Amino acid sequence: MNEKMGTRVGGLEDPRAGLEAVVALRRTLEALEAAQVENAFISGWSWARIAEVLGVSRQAVHKKHAGRIRARYPGHAPGRKGA
Amino acid sequence: MMFTRFTNRTRRSAEAAFEEARMLGHDSLGDEDLLLGILRADEGIAANALSLLGVTFEDARGESDAMLSGALASVGISLEEVRREAGEVFDMRIPDNRRIPLSPRAKKALVGARKHMRRLGDSHLGTEHVLLGILDNEDGTARRMLARLGVAPEKLEDRIFELRDRAAG
Repeated sequence: MNEKMGTRVGGLEDPRAGLEAVVALRRTLEALEAAQVENAFISGWSWARIAEVLGVSRQAVHKKHAGRIRARYPGHAPGRKGA
Repeated sequence: MMFTRFTNRTRRSAEAAFEEARMLGHDSLGDEDLLLGILRADEGIAANALSLLGVTFEDARGESDAMLSGALASVGISLEEVRREAGEVFDMRIPDNRRIPLSPRAKKALVGARKHMRRLGDSHLGTEHVLLGILDNEDGTARRMLARLGVAPEKLEDRIFELRDRAAG
């Protein structure tokens, strides 16, 4: 965190704050991806369409998210929207 | 081996540390998670020493949240807005199928804990050895978290040794 108010975070002045911001972003990005993929699944989107918007392969999305999301919504069939 | 000679308390606090790390979205177990584990297991000399200085598990968890928000705010991101935008399903938790390794700082703290155990002539690794190992890490996140809670490392060390002396009679 930026402890000296008004100074720029990261860069040459405070490398640790800059690096810690990267870690915080990475963790938040992971959680945000998981949440938005889950939101799309609940909305009835297919894995193929979710993958397309994320710009990755259907297999990659499936491997990373399907197990977790299916366990949370048993009996919820994969969406057909955009299948 | 990293976990040999642990007391049952130390083992429980390590398990609690992994649960905390997972819940907070830490993709590796940090030295601050070891501290949270000690507080969450809430037993033994380390937890008592922290409690004597007014540190509660809830406070420490709150600082962890505040440090994440602060790091994001430093690059112009509001965690609150991200949460609001993503809705109810937003959760920092690491999925159960993903393993969480020890961070270099956590490893260092546990190696240091073993050194403290030997130096003090103890045969088992207690939570107090782990806490002393954590405190050795001057640049560690746990020390900064404690500083934000108004705890000076030297004071904490004093409390640990007082409680040890008392336990020894």
